Amino acid sequence: MKGIYEGGVFRHSPLYIPVNYLRLPFLFNLFGEDFLSAALYTGVDVFAAYALVRIWTARQRKQTLSSESTESKSSLLIIIYTLNPLIILPSLARSTSSVDNAVLLTAICLACEWSTSEVASPAHKETEVSSPSLTDKVDQATPPFALGALFFLALRTHLSIDALILVPPMFMLIFSSPASRLRRPGPFKYAQKYDRPYSFLRQDFVEISLFILLWTALAALTLPSLTPNPGVWWYFFTEMFDHFRPFFLMVFSLHLLLYVAPICIKFQHDPLYSIFILIGILATLKPYPTLSDHGLFVGMWVVMSEVHPYLRHPLPTLLTLLHSSLLQPLFAHLWLTHGTGNANFYYASTLVGACAGGLGIVDSIWAGLRIAVEKGESRNEALEEKEVVTQQ
Amino acid sequence: MFSLIYRRVSVLRLALFIAGYVWMLVIPSSQLNRGVYFDENALQPGQVNTYWNWKEVRDADVFLEQLERLRDSNATSEQRSQFLMNEFLKIGLSASTQSYEFTGIHKVINGTNAYAILSSPRVSGAEATVISASWLSRTNEGDGTLNLRGVATVLALSKFVKGYSLWARDIIFVISDGYMEGMQAWLSAYHGAPQSNLYAQSLELTSGVIWTAINIDYPGHSLSHLGIFHEGLNGRLPNQDLLNSFQYISRRTGVPVVIYDHKEEDSQLNWLPSSMQNHHEIKTYAAQARNLWRHVGFQASGRGSGVHGLFHQYRIDAFTMFALPASGPHGFHSLGRIIESTMRTTNNLLERLHASFFFYVLTNSDRFVKIGNFLPSAILISVAMMFGGLHVWVDAAWVWTNVTKGEMKEDEKKSVENKRLEPQPTATPHTAMVWVRRKRSVLDVLFIMIGTHIFGASTFFVLSSRWYNTVSFGPVVLFAVAYALPLVLRQLISQPQDHLAVSSLAPAHLVLKAFNLCLSSTVISIITVLNFSLAACLAVALGIPLSTSSPSSHKVVSLVKYSAYIVLGFGWILLGETTKRVIWNWDILGVWLLPFLCIVYFPLMLQAALVCII
Repeated sequence: MKGIYEGGVFRHSPLYIPVNYLRLPFLFNLFGEDFLSAALYTGVDVFAAYALVRIWTARQRKQTLSSESTESKSSLLIIIYTLNPLIILPSLARSTSSVDNAVLLTAICLACEWSTSEVASPAHKETEVSSPSLTDKVDQATPPFALGALFFLALRTHLSIDALILVPPMFMLIFSSPASRLRRPGPFKYAQKYDRPYSFLRQDFVEISLFILLWTALAALTLPSLTPNPGVWWYFFTEMFDHFRPFFLMVFSLHLLLYVAPICIKFQHDPLYSIFILIGILATLKPYPTLSDHGLFVGMWVVMSEVHPYLRHPLPTLLTLLHSSLLQPLFAHLWLTHGTGNANFYYASTLVGACAGGLGIVDSIWAGLRIAVEKGESRNEALEEKEVVTQQ
Repeated sequence: MFSLIYRRVSVLRLALFIAGYVWMLVIPSSQLNRGVYFDENALQPGQVNTYWNWKEVRDADVFLEQLERLRDSNATSEQRSQFLMNEFLKIGLSASTQSYEFTGIHKVINGTNAYAILSSPRVSGAEATVISASWLSRTNEGDGTLNLRGVATVLALSKFVKGYSLWARDIIFVISDGYMEGMQAWLSAYHGAPQSNLYAQSLELTSGVIWTAINIDYPGHSLSHLGIFHEGLNGRLPNQDLLNSFQYISRRTGVPVVIYDHKEEDSQLNWLPSSMQNHHEIKTYAAQARNLWRHVGFQASGRGSGVHGLFHQYRIDAFTMFALPASGPHGFHSLGRIIESTMRTTNNLLERLHASFFFYVLTNSDRFVKIGNFLPSAILISVAMMFGGLHVWVDAAWVWTNVTKGEMKEDEKKSVENKRLEPQPTATPHTAMVWVRRKRSVLDVLFIMIGTHIFGASTFFVLSSRWYNTVSFGPVVLFAVAYALPLVLRQLISQPQDHLAVSSLAPAHLVLKAFNLCLSSTVISIITVLNFSLAACLAVALGIPLSTSSPSSHKVVSLVKYSAYIVLGFGWILLGETTKRVIWNWDILGVWLLPFLCIVYFPLMLQAALVCII
């Protein structure tokens, strides 16, 4: 990390500073800095993949699946996450977004563990290492799993403020269950595992909010750096007259918040799914996205395996993503090293990326809603006919 | 709308293919191109009185005499560069030499460059212009013809420019040894870009950022035309304004400009009836098609059309002035004036040439095709392939089968997504035609595709390895391995022929074909902006063949098809000298054609071949 950021202005959390100075002299002498940072990033990615697998198991728990297919599916999930170029490349670049992903996945994972631990039958004892002691004093203190989820969510929000829009669905997830209820939509179901939700909210969220407010660098809200990135913000703001800047800054930032309520209400029966959709929206529309945000969306997409048969156009979406991920390095090269292209080229390729993200989100929302209809009236003639035509 | 597209997709694909290929054929016609113009107003070409005169011609003649003496005495490159350096020093420039050695795969190449720098009399010298000549002329791509007059011109020019104080940037004179390799060594030392197989002495003298470079090639006794060679390594092109200024100045000076070494020739149309031979439109088309064909050869192969091509990799606009050998009427006098005027035009620039004048196809020295008029041809074909891929993808999922009523219940249980029952008038009372949805084994196919690309990469490592190039039967063995290995693997991995599974599982060859078409389409459309000629060649090579790949029930037929695809995809390694040249270009100059062929093109063809035998 040191070599990359040395000398430049960068706006990251101060928490990264101790990591930089964390030079265990012995290890440092033995392996050298490059190896240590490579090992650190490999570890972070593997940990994130492990968290993703735990999320997947938590989600699939209720569904009838043979252990063999679960096993192969988990290893597939690990392969897809860790070998995804969208994840590998940011890690090779030592981007902090890999750490962000790992923290977010840990938060979701802990929330899933907590919400399944209570309702879990004894058969799933291995996941509730510390919960038995918790159940009896559940009303005295917040359980460690939930606390951990909150802590990591706060940490993630602190590392990069965009995770703020994930706070509502995360709370919903903590109070409900990660299992897929897409087939049986209904109002939000509060799982009776914590007696006094309001005190829980009051105590811990206030503490954690303070933590956020005290520490967060609000870089993302003021957009100080317009260095080209795979997102769609920077070009607007380089083109814009300065006196419009505060207005559009506000519009763009608030626009991200607009999605939270509708998504959380529509998918109130399945908060994990709304987290998934919001992660996709963040990857597409946040101010400083990286490749790994798209990678996280793809990883979560694999977790939501039950909706895959209901997607309308997965192949075009993937092809658009493929186009944009090939065009982005090419146009960056044409613009910055070759000198034959210009910023418009690169921006066009990021727009293709945004289209891919948009297609993915719209299709996922469609499939998430469609799965319920399909289950209820599986022989709806009119819909079937349409499906034949549009299914690609 | 979707359903409309879906129903007409075969017609649409055919229309797109035809439109694309016809468009490609139409590019040389005069309907799509237009006259050149200047985009950068600062250039002001041809607005100066030139000072080059008969005294300078006399200097050039004297230098030429000395060079001829050197040639006749069989001087080594060391002695030559010493001589050149001394001449530069006598003129009063700071000069030096640079020796280099390439330890290439085929053989070791060494030589010595000579160069001199005139510090700008006006400014601090943050920018520079290069005037260069290579020892070997580009005649037949460096067949050994010496570029003595080119070198003499550079020496005389260096003496000439020393006498004037109007230069706003440093002028670097480089006499590079050999044909391409000398300049490659000099440029990589100048820009501090080391190459693993190159030992290049570091340069004692350096200057600022090089903006433009002019390479002079004058192999004959006199010249009748000046030719423009402009394609760089890996299909890069210089800014068109530079070429436009040159051709404008040259015409004003009285020397006709042609593109490449193509003089007007009528003989190539002999096979046409005489009334058509003299038709203006047809004559232009034939001439421009010839130019375009040459252009595609240079750009698609990525080897560049001369020494100037090496400059492009460092973002320097450069071209070669090629003096077409003839018995007259022009010589040092005209050439010197044109170069002087061109140098003074580039001297006017306050910033790099930057307007979006990099995407063009020169069909003639004064005509060019804009990007919007040639790009769509390849894109249309790529879109046709994309539609084809998506069509196959849908076809893989749905099958229109005839099931008896009794079986149907069971079938329904088996595949949950049993769709759209339609009583058919033709069907017997006990059967119904049903759209059955099949599962598509995406992952298996993806693994196959990744496997082919890894296989392609390994052939690349073999091809660029030292021991492969020492054995004479290497290509045959490698081709045999590339041919047989997929077949053997196919035999070893026998698929479970479970009929129950087969009916609910889409055949792998359909999924593979769908992905193959989609991937090729992506590759073509992305390469268009980088190297249009390569994309056009790919569109021709992949378009129809990949779209028509299909297995056959006859084992022999499918084997023949498989062989045809392998020959199309990998047959080029049997081409002897050509292949050797491609490998040399990759090894010494870093041209990407070899890795591209191995890692992208061959695997795509291999996938189509696998479609036939899976």
